[in-house]
Amino acid sequence: MLEGAELYFNADHGYLEGLVRGCKAGLLTQRDYINLVQCETLEDLKIHLQTTDYGNFLANQTNPLTVSIIDTEMRKKLCREFEYFRNHSLEPLSTFFTYMTCSYMIDNVILLMNGALQKKSVKEILVKCHPLGRFTEMEAVNIAETPSDLFNAILVETPLAPFFQDCMSENTLDELNIEILRNKLYKSYIEAFYKFCKNHGDVTAEIMCPILEFEADRRAFIITLNSFGTELSKEDRETLYPTCGKLYPEGLRLLAQAEDFEQMKRVADHGVYKALFEAVGDGSGGKTLEDVFYEREVQMNVLAFNRQFHYGVFYAYTKLKEQEIRNVVWIAECISQRHRTKINSYIPIL
Amino acid sequence: MGSMFRSEEVALVQLFLPTAAAYACVSQLGELGLVEFRDLNASVSAFQRRFVVDVRRCEELEKTFAFLQEEVRQAGLTLPLPEGALPAPLPRDLLHIQEETDRLEQELRDVRGNRQALRAQLHQLQLHSAVLGQGHGPSLAASHTDGPLERTPLLQSPGGPHQDLRVNFVAGAVEPHKAAALERLLWRACHGFLIASFRDVEQQLEGPVTGEPATWVTFLISYWGEQIGQKIRKITDCFHCHVFPFVEQEEARRAALQQLQQQSQELQEVLGETEHFLSQVLARVQRLLPPWQVQIRKMKAVYLALNQCSVSTTHKCLIAEAWCATRDLPTLQQALQGSSCSLSLAGRGWRVRASLKAPAISLVCLSACRVPQSEAGVSAVVHRIPCRDMPPTLIRTNRFTASFQGIVDAYGVGRYQEVNPAPYTIITFPFLFAVMFGDVGHGLLMFLFALAMVLAENRPAVKTAQNEIWRTFFEGRYLLLLMGLFSVYTGFIYNECFSCATAVFPSGWSVAAMANQSGWSDAFLAQQPLLSLDPNVTGVFLGPYPFGIDPVWSLAVNHLSFLNSFKMKMSVILGVTHMTFGVVLGVFNHMHFGQWHRLLLETLPELVFLLGLFGYLVFLVAYKWLRVTAASAASAPSILIHFINMFLFSSSPTNRPLFSGQEVVQPTLVVLALAMVPVLLLGTPLFLHREHRRCHSRRRQQPDKDTAGLLDLPDTSLASQGSDEEKAGCPGDQAEAEFVLSEVFMHQAIHTIEFCLGCISNTASYLRLWALSLAHAQLSQVLWAMVMRAGLSLGGEMGVAAVVLVPVFAAFAVMTVAILLVMEGLSAFLHALRLHWVEFQNKFYSGTGYKLSPFTFAVEGE
Repeated sequence: MLEGAELYFNADHGYLEGLVRGCKAGLLTQRDYINLVQCETLEDLKIHLQTTDYGNFLANQTNPLTVSIIDTEMRKKLCREFEYFRNHSLEPLSTFFTYMTCSYMIDNVILLMNGALQKKSVKEILVKCHPLGRFTEMEAVNIAETPSDLFNAILVETPLAPFFQDCMSENTLDELNIEILRNKLYKSYIEAFYKFCKNHGDVTAEIMCPILEFEADRRAFIITLNSFGTELSKEDRETLYPTCGKLYPEGLRLLAQAEDFEQMKRVADHGVYKALFEAVGDGSGGKTLEDVFYEREVQMNVLAFNRQFHYGVFYAYTKLKEQEIRNVVWIAECISQRHRTKINSYIPIL
Repeated sequence: MGSMFRSEEVALVQLFLPTAAAYACVSQLGELGLVEFRDLNASVSAFQRRFVVDVRRCEELEKTFAFLQEEVRQAGLTLPLPEGALPAPLPRDLLHIQEETDRLEQELRDVRGNRQALRAQLHQLQLHSAVLGQGHGPSLAASHTDGPLERTPLLQSPGGPHQDLRVNFVAGAVEPHKAAALERLLWRACHGFLIASFRDVEQQLEGPVTGEPATWVTFLISYWGEQIGQKIRKITDCFHCHVFPFVEQEEARRAALQQLQQQSQELQEVLGETEHFLSQVLARVQRLLPPWQVQIRKMKAVYLALNQCSVSTTHKCLIAEAWCATRDLPTLQQALQGSSCSLSLAGRGWRVRASLKAPAISLVCLSACRVPQSEAGVSAVVHRIPCRDMPPTLIRTNRFTASFQGIVDAYGVGRYQEVNPAPYTIITFPFLFAVMFGDVGHGLLMFLFALAMVLAENRPAVKTAQNEIWRTFFEGRYLLLLMGLFSVYTGFIYNECFSCATAVFPSGWSVAAMANQSGWSDAFLAQQPLLSLDPNVTGVFLGPYPFGIDPVWSLAVNHLSFLNSFKMKMSVILGVTHMTFGVVLGVFNHMHFGQWHRLLLETLPELVFLLGLFGYLVFLVAYKWLRVTAASAASAPSILIHFINMFLFSSSPTNRPLFSGQEVVQPTLVVLALAMVPVLLLGTPLFLHREHRRCHSRRRQQPDKDTAGLLDLPDTSLASQGSDEEKAGCPGDQAEAEFVLSEVFMHQAIHTIEFCLGCISNTASYLRLWALSLAHAQLSQVLWAMVMRAGLSLGGEMGVAAVVLVPVFAAFAVMTVAILLVMEGLSAFLHALRLHWVEFQNKFYSGTGYKLSPFTFAVEGE
């Protein structure tokens, strides 16, 4: 790709970038959160949200308000915005958007397969699927019995197809295999996305690569953490790590050998992740590792807005908006369950 | 007009509204639109306020209204505008409205749901019949004939156990855009164990939800085996296909088809009935909804206003703070009294108490309120309270003054009680515009256009026109009227009508006299292209033209240089006069706000500076016009040189003095003007500093007395006139306590520099009057010469000329309107605007106030 995005970026993507920056200005501020936390009921929450960019998004709800309604409606709003961006985008931005949806598609496929395994009805699970990762053939996922079946019959036409190269096997789909499938898919997805951004070059690469590197490393840490005490072998575990992060290759090898949290922490000791692990509180009081990672992600995404002429803003906006939805849902949950002590542990967006 | 001069007195009043009467009172106030409520709960978020439940109820209702309105709109109907007076409903009426609305909504939802269900059913039937009847008839026939052929090898290969295996069918319909994907997925998933045929439905079917027609695709899948069948069913489910039972025998199918058609006919009848009922419900909505919408909107506004009130400690009444013009206070009291009448039925009364700065009004208030107070126990009170915040500005306008006030407000809403430039703008604005737009013809056209608008202003069609550009012109119709009128006047002064001079009076110059005196022969006349008239020859110049420029100048080649000299000097004279007037207006500000020191320390130096330098220039111009005659024109002194020399304190020997004593007067004026600069720069700050010090020392001497005054402050409830005065004195002390010398110095320095440099640059700025009037005259002359005169001199024969003149005149007319009237008019308007905003108003007008925006139910623009 040519360098010097300043010269031609706006011709194709200027409108959308302006739009996304405007949308970013509509994110809830610290002040809004302070007001939201004070709410007594979900109705109060709704009234306050009406004064923000969310506007009357709950106005057409006739049934009593629940947390899941708020969640769905917020997601719908995000989805509408995303669809708008996507429908107005040109290449290669539209490919970028496709990559962005892939992660949600993977989640949805896995969710549906798990549901099929537990003999739940498709409709029940469809509600839980993320709207950004919807695709037509999605509901037919449960007819597949092996990964290759899944690939051949259903996913071959979707953007997920290229990520399947590593996961073609004739294993039956049980719970563990599905989880492994998810992680393998995610690994190849994130590596492909990373490669795409790297090849695109310019500011996009400068912004997106660190974000994706962080994402890859985060997954590596989380996989390690979740695999403690399961039957997953260390060799298998290593194959699941995305290799585009900062931990690759030495860190990942060490991580594969890790047997408990302390060893994992030692792996992180040398790199940029030391500070993050130090921020993790122990036991009851402090933050969880997940929260610390989320905070770091928010921080990186906010910083993405400091540069102009790149695609990272779209990614960052979507992620920030997701975090915002998580925050509001958290607050709403705390309110509806009258569990106010933890209401403040949302992750503020700067 | 008295209220035009400066904004009206506005008082901060405290309304004590008994809880039961608060709603009625505020709703009455909303109808009147007198007061602007102040938010006393600014720190409380929206959902923690007192009446949030009521607001929410109104919002619920509005939500239902929106639903009803949307339904009406979808049915292709419009809501009529509500008529008549619709007061905010009483809370008990709200229940009634709520009930009615809920019932309507329920009915509408039911009917709509029914219709939806019926439509869906009908859709299903239609699809079914389409699947059965159309499309697969031939293919089925084909498959029947092919069937044995296809079946034989397949049946043979699996052999014995599958003897009874037969072909099964899945038939259904799918949305067109999914058909291709479905076909592919079927193929991939079932590896060709099936035969699928897809076919478009011939006629378009209306979708049950959207009502939009779409071409559906029917399909027929033939397969073997249960496994495949299950898979196919799953896949068709995933694509949301409609799957129908498919009988193999053709007769049975035909019978089913007939039955289906019958069913769908019956359904259609039922659907028609439902539609009819639906239209009845909608008609009811149409009748009831608009008044309700207005009423509920008012109710919500009232509750929002009430949300801004704070609650008294006893919870018996609400306390509201509001700005209200003192002139409206009696009306306010009356209004509250009116609402209290209804209250007295409920055994309550109200009381008005006012006090403080305006004793006269407080007396009125007291006398007005005593009576009801004696009647009832609980009281509603109007209470005037002192306030440190700057009150809002209220200037009442009528349809004539509104546009001029608009010009001023566009720059900045005046500070409270500041001198309002609008009344002067009524004359100066059209005049300065006309100086730049001087042409009798153009002015007349503009005047007639404005006059037409003024005469038609009461016509409803004109009033309600929505076109934004039209509305802009219409709002400024009186402004346009005056601008046109003044342009006619200046047009006569410039003696220009569509750039042609008119000879209303006989010219003051006589060519005949000149010819006779100097004995111009025919040969001489033939040789000379230019002849000059000498005013010194007797009989040539008979005296000045009675009004405006002599028409003979339009023939002269030095027409332009003559006009330039005239217009330039006129611009300077007008500019200096306008600016001086602005400085003088500042006097009224200082007098009104009691800042007498500023009269001496600011206005006087400013006047001396302005008049000493530029006033003198104006004097020189006028003096030269009056004193230098045609005879002495050759040796006339140059004003320009004199004016430059004045600043250089020198004199040039070649330039004769204008009047005796000029050598003394000029340096004196310059020295005087320059001496005013330090006065202006240092006067006010030093004076304020001294005042501050004196005040400070006095306070140190008598600290005990001051604390006594402060102790008096808390018991405001029974505050006497005396303590009020002390209280009124308090803000002044506070202001002096915040006195920072350097800030005042800085401010004054900026003001001084701005004024002194401004005098020079602003005077130069007024030269735009000359430039624009010149441009306008030249442009109209060009248009006349290039279009009209060219057209007039074209045709030799009568007929040709007549035919040619039609398009020529059309072009002339269009260009006159488009370029000279609209474009030039806009540019002259813009420059006049600038002259008012920058050159005139910065001499006295700060424009840092804010408008009184009363709480009113009146709709904008009505």
